[in-house]
Amino acid sequence: MVKLSCHHCDYSWNYQGKTKYYATCPNCRYKVRIQPEETPKPELKRRDLEPRKILSKEKKAKKLIGIAAIVSRVIEKHQHDKSMLIQILLQLQNDFGWLPREMLTEVSKQLEIPLNRVYQISTFYKAFSLAPRGRHLIRVCMGTSCKVRGATTILDKLQSTLEIEKDQTTPDGRFSLETVNCAGCCALGPVITIDGEYHGNLKVMDTEKILAKYK
Amino acid sequence: MESTKPVRTPEELEKLRQKIESERGNKKPTVSICISTGCVALGATSVLEAFKTGIKKAKLEEKVEIKETGCLGFCEQGPRVTVYPDEICYFKVKPDDVHEIISQTIKENKIVERLLYTDPITRKKVRRLNEIPFYKDQLRPLLENNARIDPKNILDYIHLDGYKALTKAISQMTPQQIIEEIKKSKLRGRGGGGFPTGIKWETTRNAPEETKYVIVNCDEGDPGAFMDRSLMEGTPHSVLEGLIIGAYAIGAKEGYVYVREEYPLATENITTAIEQAKQYGFLGENILGSGFNFNVRVHKGAGAFVSGESSALMTAIEGKIGEPRPKYVHTAVKGLWNKPTCLNNVKTWANVPLIIIKGAEWFKNIGTEGSSGTAIFSLVGKIKNTGLVEVPMGITLRDLIYKIGGGIKDDKKFKAVQTGGPSGGFIPEEYLDLQVDFDEIDKVGSMMGSGGLVVMDEDTCMVDSARYFVDFLLDESCGKCIPCREGLRVLSKNLGNICEGKGEHEDIVVVEDIALTMENASLCALGTTAANPVLTSLKYFREEWDQHIKDKRCIAKSCKSLTDYYIDPKECQACLICLRECPTKAIEGEKDQVHWINQEKCEKCGICYEVCKFDAVKKLSGEPIPSKPAKGMKPIRKGVKQ
Amino acid sequence: MKTLTLKIDGKEIEAEEDMTILEAAEKLSIQIPTLCHHKNLEPYGACRICSVEIETRGKSRIVAACCYPVKNDLNVTTRSPKIDKIRKTILELAAVSAGEDAMGEMRKLASEYNADLSHLRSKTPIEPTKCILCGLCVRRCIEATWDSVIGFIGRGTKRQITLYPEKASICTICDYCHDVCPTGKITSTGPDPPFPQIDDILAGRE
Repeated sequence: MVKLSCHHCDYSWNYQGKTKYYATCPNCRYKVRIQPEETPKPELKRRDLEPRKILSKEKKAKKLIGIAAIVSRVIEKHQHDKSMLIQILLQLQNDFGWLPREMLTEVSKQLEIPLNRVYQISTFYKAFSLAPRGRHLIRVCMGTSCKVRGATTILDKLQSTLEIEKDQTTPDGRFSLETVNCAGCCALGPVITIDGEYHGNLKVMDTEKILAKYK
Repeated sequence: MESTKPVRTPEELEKLRQKIESERGNKKPTVSICISTGCVALGATSVLEAFKTGIKKAKLEEKVEIKETGCLGFCEQGPRVTVYPDEICYFKVKPDDVHEIISQTIKENKIVERLLYTDPITRKKVRRLNEIPFYKDQLRPLLENNARIDPKNILDYIHLDGYKALTKAISQMTPQQIIEEIKKSKLRGRGGGGFPTGIKWETTRNAPEETKYVIVNCDEGDPGAFMDRSLMEGTPHSVLEGLIIGAYAIGAKEGYVYVREEYPLATENITTAIEQAKQYGFLGENILGSGFNFNVRVHKGAGAFVSGESSALMTAIEGKIGEPRPKYVHTAVKGLWNKPTCLNNVKTWANVPLIIIKGAEWFKNIGTEGSSGTAIFSLVGKIKNTGLVEVPMGITLRDLIYKIGGGIKDDKKFKAVQTGGPSGGFIPEEYLDLQVDFDEIDKVGSMMGSGGLVVMDEDTCMVDSARYFVDFLLDESCGKCIPCREGLRVLSKNLGNICEGKGEHEDIVVVEDIALTMENASLCALGTTAANPVLTSLKYFREEWDQHIKDKRCIAKSCKSLTDYYIDPKECQACLICLRECPTKAIEGEKDQVHWINQEKCEKCGICYEVCKFDAVKKLSGEPIPSKPAKGMKPIRKGVKQ
Repeated sequence: MKTLTLKIDGKEIEAEEDMTILEAAEKLSIQIPTLCHHKNLEPYGACRICSVEIETRGKSRIVAACCYPVKNDLNVTTRSPKIDKIRKTILELAAVSAGEDAMGEMRKLASEYNADLSHLRSKTPIEPTKCILCGLCVRRCIEATWDSVIGFIGRGTKRQITLYPEKASICTICDYCHDVCPTGKITSTGPDPPFPQIDDILAGRE
């Protein structure tokens, strides 16, 4: 039994569990470090973990189902090349619409890349979405030319019609609204794309008509 | 595809070209429709479908060819259809016009007058492309073939002397001779830095490593720029040819093309081009029988502007996050995987085949002393003729904006032109006679950048525009170094306060201090040039900043918190449109009663100003709002004779 | 290895080809301040406080001493009014997100350069995190465990350090992250305030 004190919420209790290093505070659920009496500083090792169970190729072919199988197929297509991580994630994002956490963990395991790097890449780039998106993705271009020609008014109109803010999805799952920093159609501002279809020279009054085409 | 046997010698290529010429030389009528992203956004796909159905119905499939081609630049007048062999250009074509084009122009060789371009000053119809004022002063060696080439068909490119430069380079020149030719032409990098390309190639070639790489940078993150997209979508083979010549000169065996994720059509076209070039023996092993091997891979971006910076791009290709690295050792010496790498912009590579075929002297004779050749600009913003223009370096801004661009939209007053994207600055009216080239624009505090030119008129607030760029960079900064990340955060808050009327005089002192630190201590070029828009805006438009701070007034009437919307009772026609469109239901009024905006509910979104057909909604800034008219006031009907 | 000669603050020194200005200055016992540098890790170049002025072939510019490789005939100045002003502004900028009560190396440098850590914070009030994102804790953790317990996520001002609960079991209390934190955020009992967990960030709770 060890007496522990949570530094986050100041709750104290007698811990009777069996874990060695971290206990969960019963009050606020934060992880509290358990200080053993005398711990010698461990030697710095490159990979101080249990040996990972690496499945042989035959076992892989038989055992992988669900997300693991999907990820494995995409990784095979890119020849297990670690430097193609971004291309692999782009393909998964295109096929699925979003990247669930299980998928990122699978990519980390199968490509043998540290988990924190996979997360770092998927949160650095705007193309990846770690939350599910609506059936139709609306992207409003906020480039200089489009803004000078009134893109902010279009964004305001879309936000008020769909009743969501940018980077959100409508509760019925129909539309997701995002902004993009230049879609490349600068001569025809303001421009929005819905599911990859471009609508240029947009006027405020036309937005409702265009949205109605997408169910 | 006619023959997919790889071309092994220069003589075989010439034979193939003559074969294509003899097959096409019978002057079959061709309809070339622009299906670049710009025209597609204006409905070009329906025009294409209408042509396909119409030609089939008229049973002319054997006699008439339909070609899906690239962008000619005049995006304002899209969709564009050109009928060969007489090269008749029709603009703003709708699916309903297709029937007339087929029956009149294709069957009977008659011109459909109403679809020709109308000169706005002479009011006459213009028949030929180079008589249109937009095209008269342009010189278009890079873009002129966009209307004749189907980017998905390599034979079109070979027919127009494609890959001739590659043949000449590989069979008649040594790598050193090629580099000397590029150096003699004084070609400067078109990505924004303006670094002499020949010297970069030479440094990469002389670096003491066996493995070398070449990269095409098509990550055009600059808002307002779409030149690279048009080149990649229209003639991807010209870029590929330049890349292969460069790789031969430098000694690289592997190349990469980095395309941004927002350009799906460009990615598709360059991937098809690479496959076809491989089939015809221009890529792969033993190219044209010379023993030179070269392979190219396409790498897609994933939505980060900072990854367009050269060292960040290389880090992204290596599979890590696209953060810039300190460039104290040039990437030409230590780049991708620490090997010598030559990275150039799409337009730079596209210029290389022209220099090899037409010679360095031809290239040097175009443009100015310091900057030779042509430059492609994207002329956008508040201008009448928006689109892509290709002009020789040295043209004045005035000619660009007024002669080619046709002047300011709605004939309003010119205020400034912004060049170089978020790293550039604003150029005011006094410099309109500036000759556009790399060094001249540097002298006034801006930079040429990739070639985006955004024109702003009297309705654009310069403080808000500076804030726009700071917010853009704040969103796109990688966040690694303190000066850029925190500096942009403080600048954004400061400028936001000024635009909302909460600014104070010391805000400008803070802005100048932070700009000095960012310029000197940031890690990459995004940070060091981030303060340019703010500093040029302060330098040339100081009165607007002072008015925002002291008088709480925005003379462009653009900043929401400093603008009030007011319906003039003398103009209002009580049509109920603004009442219905207002998102906060702030407008009161009825069918025969003048409308009135309740200032407490008004969110200043500007929708009423946009939708009013009678110009009754007025914007006020720094002036008191007139009092409400009497209840039940009837509108003064226009057009009623008393 | 080639030996090169350069001048730092007027004193001549011979250095090997692959040394950086920071290492060469250490040989002369000249102290250049750093916040994100550690002798056992690769140079990172994030804090920029080691900025010095170099002059070569008539041109002068400001570079980061921890990353710049030594060259022949380089003239380095480590203190001057311009450099001091830049370092002071960098500390004030770092305090915008870290907060005024940062301890450790940052507090020491703030008093040396007379930086008012609340000057820029007053106009940009945000929740202080005590973290300047120098990356030392993350880099040390990667070195110790390969499959790091903490890591960076996000970009720009949304960049932060997060804890991966599924990897927390490999944290062997090596204390390597506590040793190196320059603002005193990581104490001997762990980070204070604690690093947010990845689930909370993705759900928008943080």
